[in-house]
Amino acid sequence: MDASAGIQEPFDLIRLSLSERVFVKLRGDRELTGILHAYDGHMNLILSDVEETIMLVDGAEGAPHGQGVVNVAKRKMEMLFVRGDGVILVSPPSRT
Amino acid sequence: MGDSPPPPEATPPPPPPITSGSPTDFLKNVVGKRVVVRLTSGVDYRGVLSCLDGYMNIALEQTEEHVNGTVTNRYGDAFIRGNNVLYISAAEPL
Repeated sequence: MDASAGIQEPFDLIRLSLSERVFVKLRGDRELTGILHAYDGHMNLILSDVEETIMLVDGAEGAPHGQGVVNVAKRKMEMLFVRGDGVILVSPPSRT
Repeated sequence: MGDSPPPPEATPPPPPPITSGSPTDFLKNVVGKRVVVRLTSGVDYRGVLSCLDGYMNIALEQTEEHVNGTVTNRYGDAFIRGNNVLYISAAEPL
């Protein structure tokens, strides 16, 4: 148990980030930053003031990670529901 | 073919089956240590394991994201959804 940060289980880390801006990594080479309003046990998320970044990979999927990213598409949304099964990672950028 | 003596480079006998060290024991021992978490996508995350749960959801501190051996990102705290996790490995001796 990480008593120093008051975190008992991984979801506590998310709970501490409510109403803060978080960084979310999604399947499909997508990333979000937004203000976290709600979450549940499936990792469904409600985010506001969201910016989505989509990594557009050139051609073959042979080396999609970090290589061959030729373009990036961004879009903004005021309010967003994220389905939990697409979530890979959630990080509070304010604590980095 | 009769019984032949084992060749000089015979492999040592297999270790006795581990009955006490279950995966749960490993996970208890590794909390607070530096770990490598590999995802099914092949991305590695190295950091200090804050805690985890039965679904292998993971909370890490001081996390580095490694892709193809290079550090691509750093996170102060990171929550990783368990379904993406391939393995958790201790990066330092327990």
